[in-house]
Amino acid sequence: MRLRNPTKTLAIGSFAFWLFFFVLVPNVMVAVVSLLSRDESSFVSLPFSLESYLRLSDPLYLMVFIKSLNMALVTTLVCLLAGYPFAYILARLPGRFRRVLVLLVILPFWTNSLIRTYAVALILRTNGPLNWFLVDLAGLRDTPLDLLYTGTAVVAGSVYVFLPFMILPLYAVLERMDPAYVEAGRDLGAGWLDVFFRITVPLSMPGILAGCLLVFLPALGLFYIPDVLGGARDLFIGNFIKNQFLDARDWPFGAAGSVVLTGLMGVLLLIYYRGMRRLGEKVL
Amino acid sequence: MKKFFIFLAALFFTASAHAGTKELYFYNWSEYMPDSVLENFTKETGIKIIYTTYESNEALYAKMKLTGGKGYDLVVPSTYYVSKMLAEGLLQPLNKKLLPDLGNLNPMLLDQPFDPGNTVSIPYIWGTTGLAYNAKKVKPGALEAWGDLWKPEFKGRVLLQNDVREVFHAGLRVLGYSGNDTDPAHIEEAYNVLVKLMPSVRLFNSEAPKMPFLNGEVDAGMIWNGEAYVASRENPDIRFVFPREGAVLWLDSLVIPKGAKNAENAHAFINFILRPEIAMVISMEIGYATPNLAAQKMLPPEARNNRTVYPADEDLANAEYHLDIGPAITVYEKYWEKLKAGR
Repeated sequence: MRLRNPTKTLAIGSFAFWLFFFVLVPNVMVAVVSLLSRDESSFVSLPFSLESYLRLSDPLYLMVFIKSLNMALVTTLVCLLAGYPFAYILARLPGRFRRVLVLLVILPFWTNSLIRTYAVALILRTNGPLNWFLVDLAGLRDTPLDLLYTGTAVVAGSVYVFLPFMILPLYAVLERMDPAYVEAGRDLGAGWLDVFFRITVPLSMPGILAGCLLVFLPALGLFYIPDVLGGARDLFIGNFIKNQFLDARDWPFGAAGSVVLTGLMGVLLLIYYRGMRRLGEKVL
Repeated sequence: MKKFFIFLAALFFTASAHAGTKELYFYNWSEYMPDSVLENFTKETGIKIIYTTYESNEALYAKMKLTGGKGYDLVVPSTYYVSKMLAEGLLQPLNKKLLPDLGNLNPMLLDQPFDPGNTVSIPYIWGTTGLAYNAKKVKPGALEAWGDLWKPEFKGRVLLQNDVREVFHAGLRVLGYSGNDTDPAHIEEAYNVLVKLMPSVRLFNSEAPKMPFLNGEVDAGMIWNGEAYVASRENPDIRFVFPREGAVLWLDSLVIPKGAKNAENAHAFINFILRPEIAMVISMEIGYATPNLAAQKMLPPEARNNRTVYPADEDLANAEYHLDIGPAITVYEKYWEKLKAGR
């Protein structure tokens, strides 16, 4: 085959190289490790065994998975409920405002998310600005609220970190939507609510699905937000994998957890593509 | 493709390839060395220090294993990680001829079971894990033993280290077992005791346990003595206690990995911080006890006589070092996960 465009070949080549060495190879290594046995002085050793997967079937680890799924689900729902009105209004603003506001949505990405998580901790703590406002300034409460190190703090922090991932795909879809559909609905006598739920929401479904996926998947493997804001009192899949690799030095067990998590994410991606295809038939 | 591999290999091994005679790759605990000490060493010797940090022995150990002890010239494992790394051939013997200032060290901290004769390790800093409370919220005398953490008055106000060995140390000592127990039945018993403590636990933290104390988030909990000492300088109401059942003792030691490319520079640095005036600066700034007796004498009296940092013999009556517990760590880990997820 003759090389027609060297730049293109280089771009595709380096991307393929990246995917092969930094995605495929590490994942295959993790999968292989998950089938080996723990070794006290060299991390892993033969023989091959399925023991790590059998140990994962313990109800304890099922609970860890359920907790993680639950946390990711709540985060996704709150992001959707908060992000949808935001994106909806954003898409209807005059161009100049819109560009500034989109920039403001993206702006937090310039700071590392771990630092932003510590910033949230700073705001929520007992003698932090939020309690100062509630107790001293507004006088709404006599004693400061214990906000930090609670489940609420974890959800609040996760929502804060992931909200842009929900807003941006929703905005992209809503902005492209032809206002004629809404006008037609109104002309034919539908109320605002009717128009919203029967026209706008279905038309923005690809954005909703994409946003939910972009929030749900990373929220599932999260470990530093529960550690910093939740006081490390709960155990999520991410914590479990990290503990097994580092503290227990049980690489096969940690790897097995990682493989199951990757598999779960694969299934969700598959559902997403199926859903998008079905929507594609309906929308286009 | 082959060329690319060579390029990639070169990238990975730049650390070793660059290692000349004027460099020192130093991998240390975070917040464990004043910048001024590093700068003065470079000024004096011309040796450039490439300084990086870690948060746990486990992280250090994993890295050392994966690189076979290459890439760093000086690291600081605690207590039993020295013997573990020595047994697995990751460390090189020290050349005592290059360390003339060794005589300053406290004999009490030398010749420990994890490195008899100090063939590979030099004590850097030592300390204990014990209890602390906020005297504004807790009556003096209410917290004197690990067992006191279970008192109902501390409900929701307790801090524990986010470390399986330290938390289980408290559980095991309350029951009268050693913190190094490897009997699964005893570990389970400790778990059953710790489960009852969970409603009291506000958070687990072993990055900066002084912060929740200073911010008023917790009133009592598990903390390192140096960290409590630094906190008490900021807020005198924060007081450290040596728990009656026995604190955890630990000793962090300077060791030179087997694959170190600049072992001579590492020796020069060890000898540099063995100087009393340097060891004193380190101890003052990070708040922990120096094993350097000459440096200890130079400290201002309020630091030297501080019982939190330099405990009396009776304070350490039941204290013990953590030892390598081998595969039993997986049993601990399982109950640790159960403790956190099982609610």
